[in-house]
Amino acid sequence: MKRSVPFEIFRYAAILAAMAVTLVPILWMVSMAFKPIGEWSATGADLTWWPKHPTLANFQFVFGHSTNDLIVALDHTALKPILSSLLSAVFGTAIAMSAGTAAAYGLSRFGSGQNLPLALIQLRLFPPMAVMIPVMIMWAFLNLNDTWWGLALIYGIVTLPFAFWLMKTFFDDMPREIEEAALVEGCSRLRVFTRITLPMMRAPLASAALFVFILNWSDYLIALLLTTREWVTIPVYMASLSSSMTGQLYGAKAALGLIAAVPPVIMGIAIQRHLVRGLTFGALKQ
Amino acid sequence: MSAVTATISEDKMGTARAKPAQRDEGARLGFRLTLPAQVLVLFISAFPLLMQLYISVTDWSPLSGIGWWNAWEMWNSFANYTDLAADTRFWSALQRTAVVMLVCVPAEFLLGLALATLFADDFPGKRIFYSILLMPMMVVPAVAGYMFFMLFQSGGPVNDILSRVVGGPVTIAWLSDPTLALIAVMIADIWQWTPLMFLILLAGLVGVPEDQMKAATLLGANAWQRFTTIVLPKMKTIIIIALAIRVIENFKIFDTLYIMTGGGPGVATETISVYIYKVTTQDLIWGYVAAIALAILIVLSIVAVYAMKRLAAARQGA
Repeated sequence: MKRSVPFEIFRYAAILAAMAVTLVPILWMVSMAFKPIGEWSATGADLTWWPKHPTLANFQFVFGHSTNDLIVALDHTALKPILSSLLSAVFGTAIAMSAGTAAAYGLSRFGSGQNLPLALIQLRLFPPMAVMIPVMIMWAFLNLNDTWWGLALIYGIVTLPFAFWLMKTFFDDMPREIEEAALVEGCSRLRVFTRITLPMMRAPLASAALFVFILNWSDYLIALLLTTREWVTIPVYMASLSSSMTGQLYGAKAALGLIAAVPPVIMGIAIQRHLVRGLTFGALKQ
Repeated sequence: MSAVTATISEDKMGTARAKPAQRDEGARLGFRLTLPAQVLVLFISAFPLLMQLYISVTDWSPLSGIGWWNAWEMWNSFANYTDLAADTRFWSALQRTAVVMLVCVPAEFLLGLALATLFADDFPGKRIFYSILLMPMMVVPAVAGYMFFMLFQSGGPVNDILSRVVGGPVTIAWLSDPTLALIAVMIADIWQWTPLMFLILLAGLVGVPEDQMKAATLLGANAWQRFTTIVLPKMKTIIIIALAIRVIENFKIFDTLYIMTGGGPGVATETISVYIYKVTTQDLIWGYVAAIALAILIVLSIVAVYAMKRLAAARQGA
C-alpha cells in the first residue's frame, strides 16, 4: 500500500525514538566496559557518556591481571565462571536436544507419548522457584550441587519443552515422501530416522539448538540456587565484583556483562527466522 | 501408560501401505524414542511433587539435622497452610506481582503492537531496524539487571538525561525509594520484553490478507476502522498467545528485579519469586516454602487447564 509523506516522517521518527530507548542501556554498558576507573566511577556532573581514554583494563582485571588503577584483587578470575556457563549451557542443550528431538519424532511419526505436549507446557508454566526445594534436595543427594554437570542436567530438563516443541513442528512440516520411499526400499524405521531424517533436518536442528543454548546461557536463578563457589556461572559471579573498599566495580561488571551478552545476541540474530516459532512453542510460524 | 498409548494410537507414517510388522516396529521405536523425555519429565515432576507434598506438612529445614525423609518427626498438622493464609508478606508479594503484571504486560503489548503496525509494510532500512529493536530480548536478563542497576544510580545516566531536560542537577534515588524502585524494575521489564510482543505481533500482522484491506479502503473504511474490523479479529489467536506467554513469564519475574533491588528497599519490590527465594535461602524454613510452592502450583494448574480449554474452544470456533 502507498503511504503518505507525513506518515513516512512519523514512522521514521517513531522508529528512531524506539531505537534510542533500545540502544541507550546497551551502549551505556559498552561504554562503561571500556572506561578507566576515573571515568566509570564518576557520578553526576562528571559523568562521561563515551570513554575519553578507552582502555582494556576492565577486561584485564576480570581475567586476573592486576591493574595499577585498582587496589583490590580478585579471589577468583572470571575464567572459571565463563567455563561453567559454557559447559552447563552446552551440555544442557545437548540433553534437551537429544531427548526433545527423539521424543518429537516419536510423537510426530508414530503418535507415541501423547501426554508429552501438555506435560511439557505445564513444566514451562511453573515458576522455577516453586519447584526448586525438591530439586535442591535431590541435587544434594546426588552430589550434583555446585557442579557444572548438575546445572547441565537441570538446564536440559528446563529447556526440554522448547526443544521438543520446536522439533515437533519441524517434523510435522517435513514432507514424508522421502522417508516412505526409504521404508519401501526396506530400511528399518530407526535407520530412516538416523540416516535420512536427521541429516535432512540439519538446519532446523541447528536453529533449535542455538535457541535452546540462548535460554540455558541466560539462566540466573537456577545457578544462584545450585552453585555456591566452585562452579558459579557468569551472572552469579558478577555479584562478587564489588568490594567494601571500592563499592561496585562497575567497569569490571560492564566488561563481563558485555562478554556474557554478545554470544546470545549474535546467535539470536542468526536464527531470527525461527524466533517466533521457538517462543510460541511452534504455535506460530514466521 | 505411554506404552499403551503408543500401541493403540495410529501409525501416522504410511499407514495405508505399512505392513503390520512395520507398524509394530514403528510403535516400538516411537516408545523408545519418547522414553528419555518421559523419564526426564517424571524425574522432575512426580517425585519432586510427592517430596514437596510430604515436606509441606512438616517444620523441616535443611538445618534440622535430620534427613528430609525423616521429616514426619516434625509433622505440624497443616500449620504451614494456615500460616500461609495469614502471611501478609506473602499476600502483599502476590499483590505486587499482580500490579507489575498489570502494568508491564499491557504496556509491552501496546508498544509492541504500535511498533508492529509501523513495520507492517516495507520501507528502506526495515531489516536493520528490525534486528536492532529485537536486541533487548536476547540480552541475558541478569546482565540487563546489572545494566539497569547502573542506569538508575542517583549519579547515573538516567538522572543525567533528566538534568539536561530540566536544566538543573537531578539526584533522584531511584532504587532506594519504594515507589520509584518499583517503577524502575517495571521499566527494565518493559524494555526487555516489548521486543518479544513486537516480534510475535508482527508475525501475525503480516498474515493479514492485503486484498481485504484494499477492499475495505475502497468501501471507505478509514485506518482505524480497518484495524478494528479486519486486523484485530484476524489476529485474535496470536494476541491471546502473545499475552499468555508474557503473563506466564512475567509472573515468574526474578532475574532483573532481584539484581536491581534485591526486592528492596524493605519489601517494596518483593514479588512472589523473590519472596520464595528469600524464605528459601535466608529463613531456610523449607517446609513452609514447600507449602507456598505447592499452593502456587495448584492454582497455576487450575488456571492453565481452564485457559487451555478456552483456547481449544476458541480455535474450534474460528
